[in-house]
Amino acid sequence: MAKILAKNKLNDVIAKLKSAGIDLFGPVRDDKHSWYGPVEEAGQLALDLILTDRTLKELFFPQTEPLLKFEIKKQQVDMQEMSPPNRQRVIFAVRPCDAAGIAIDDALFGWDYKDSYWFKRRNDSTIVSIACTAADEFCLCTSLKLSPDSTKGSDILLWPTKDGKGWRVEEITDKGKEFLGRINELLEDSEDQTAAVANVPVKFDLDKVVAWLAEPANFDSSFWREISRRCIGCGACTFLCPTCHCFDIQDEGNTYHGVRQKNWDSCSFAMFTMHTSGHNPRPTQMSRWRQRIMHKFNYYPGKFQANSCSGCGRCTRQCPVDMGIVETLREISKSV
Amino acid sequence: MGALEILKDRAKQLLTAGEVKMVIGYGRGSTADRRRAIFISDEAQADKLVLDKSCEDNLAGYLVREGLLQDGKKVAIFLSPAGIRSVNVLAAEDQLNPDQVVILGFEIKGDQVSALDGHHVNGFIELVGQIKKQGLSKDREELIAKLEKMTPPERFEFWRAQFSKCLKCYACRQGCPMCYCRRCIVDRNQPQWINTSPHSMGNFEWNIVRAFHLAGRCVGCGNCERACPVGIPLMLLNQQMAAEVLSAFDHFAGMNSTQEPVLASFKREDPDTFIL
Amino acid sequence: MSEEFEPKIIAFVCTYCTYAGADLAGTSRLKYAPNVRMIRLPCTGRISPMFILKALQKGADGILVSGCHPGDCHFTHGNFHARRRWTVFRSLLNFVGIPQERVWFSWISAAEGNKFAETINKMTEEIRKLGPFKQYQQLIEEMETPAKV
Repeated sequence: MAKILAKNKLNDVIAKLKSAGIDLFGPVRDDKHSWYGPVEEAGQLALDLILTDRTLKELFFPQTEPLLKFEIKKQQVDMQEMSPPNRQRVIFAVRPCDAAGIAIDDALFGWDYKDSYWFKRRNDSTIVSIACTAADEFCLCTSLKLSPDSTKGSDILLWPTKDGKGWRVEEITDKGKEFLGRINELLEDSEDQTAAVANVPVKFDLDKVVAWLAEPANFDSSFWREISRRCIGCGACTFLCPTCHCFDIQDEGNTYHGVRQKNWDSCSFAMFTMHTSGHNPRPTQMSRWRQRIMHKFNYYPGKFQANSCSGCGRCTRQCPVDMGIVETLREISKSV
Repeated sequence: MGALEILKDRAKQLLTAGEVKMVIGYGRGSTADRRRAIFISDEAQADKLVLDKSCEDNLAGYLVREGLLQDGKKVAIFLSPAGIRSVNVLAAEDQLNPDQVVILGFEIKGDQVSALDGHHVNGFIELVGQIKKQGLSKDREELIAKLEKMTPPERFEFWRAQFSKCLKCYACRQGCPMCYCRRCIVDRNQPQWINTSPHSMGNFEWNIVRAFHLAGRCVGCGNCERACPVGIPLMLLNQQMAAEVLSAFDHFAGMNSTQEPVLASFKREDPDTFIL
Repeated sequence: MSEEFEPKIIAFVCTYCTYAGADLAGTSRLKYAPNVRMIRLPCTGRISPMFILKALQKGADGILVSGCHPGDCHFTHGNFHARRRWTVFRSLLNFVGIPQERVWFSWISAAEGNKFAETINKMTEEIRKLGPFKQYQQLIEEMETPAKV
């Protein structure tokens, strides 16, 4: 006997959460574009998407965020800290790759400095993922040793039922348990079968790739130049990646008054490593592409024992010049 | 012979004769309908070249990236008329020497692709003149008409909503052949004219400034709008600017390789009815 | 008690004509609205559209850009270049919804003290009627608002 959440009960779920002061977020769309946004009514949820264009990280790490306001006076500097809002929320219909991305980034944001902006939002969020029954040619979660039904980073995992009526509920964490406790009377008992999980063929041998990248001699391989020739150095792949997390701090204002902003930054940008001296240790697009791959599959795992990639495929889907990491990793895997 | 065979043969000849060091063209992408830029330096690789109606991207930008032409050698490149116009603009602005660019010209009309005669920008002056006569693209006429009927506050709200999607990924800038500044205005902070932050103000300013910097230089290739990962209708802005310089100054970008940039030149009779 | 709205007008003017014209307005004891803040450049050719955007970013309700009449430029042709720039930028501003009534352009010579005073007065009144540039101010306020999500 399993618990099912029926689709037609979603509005009741939203109402119950609202009465407890909890917001609901989920995938939403307009005619061109999709993202994770606030949801007032179940009809707004875009549940038929394979995945959203934008990622879940925006709800934890916004693309721009003011950290503090400052006022420079004659004798002192007045500062006013600006924090994330105090709102609990449930994020519904998250894709397992997006949830895994958040879990991967926890290690970084809690490393030598605990990022209170990230963790405040983490603590205030319950992540309810839905296992994928459909995938497209760009999905590669299985190549990263994840899967369309991975529980990494999720508090609840929902399994779509065969008849499309709703989802079988699987509790993963204590937070998930708490959420289920809130909506318990809206769940039904059922023997309904769940639909088959999407088939995502493995595209490359990750262990071979990681081993090749760890070999110092390969750092100078001509492979890097050949594979990244057409890269134009925009930030689309980094900004649409669930795990990319670099940011820039900018002070905006004038002599007397200003705001300190935390903005997304990208290692693909030419100026990313520009030193004040004028020297740039990564002056070519090739060196920046190489850095991106090495960071994700060598430097990050070296520190945090996890590859900085959850296999969502957005980098390849959205790249204006048909790059993305799949081809690079496949070529490396083939060559070993 | 189809366009691809004609141009592929030309490419092979150029490589075999050592006349060019590289051919930049289109290759098959990661899915059936995708095409990507490929860089061929050996005639054996020339069979990777493809040419069909999916070859929409303007490749001219690669000519000015990372000093490709600095060694004085020639490069052959597959270009549609918009791409040829790009080379003209880049030459007129002293960003490249048109003698180093061997053009493998093609034109996409609906489902058909045809090869163009000519190999140097000077061989396409008549073609570009004809394109100018045809007038600006009829794309999105409906949307532009709708915008023009709106009041300024309504238009402001339309664009504010569009720009609020902007991530400041700069895919538009990086994909544009005309955005070749070594340090873009948005990367300058002495002084900081435009906020780099991707809040509504920063996005509004960035997109306005880019449209302005492209006024009279944009050839309408559409790279920017195709590159934008969040679907902002950038070409509307560029089309508006192109229409303005055409009506006010009879300027059409990329007519030839010595055309004076529209904002770096003037006529005594330029319109100024709006000036008090 | 409600305060009457006082528009903030920024005027980018060239040294040799409009600034001198403003000076003449002063020495002739012509009254003109104190709402204007003058920013003097050597020539209108130096005026970049960035200045206009910056003024808006800092909360201007109206902007005046003014210089020598065509043919009279101290630097011979700075204002010819400026004229082209203004034509293009004005069209762009209008297209994105920044009302043309808020950004004015004029030719005011060193001898036209009257014209300067009249232009400033007229502009101040028209912008006062339009009211503050609320839509842009919302963008400014958003910069200092804590994250909503």
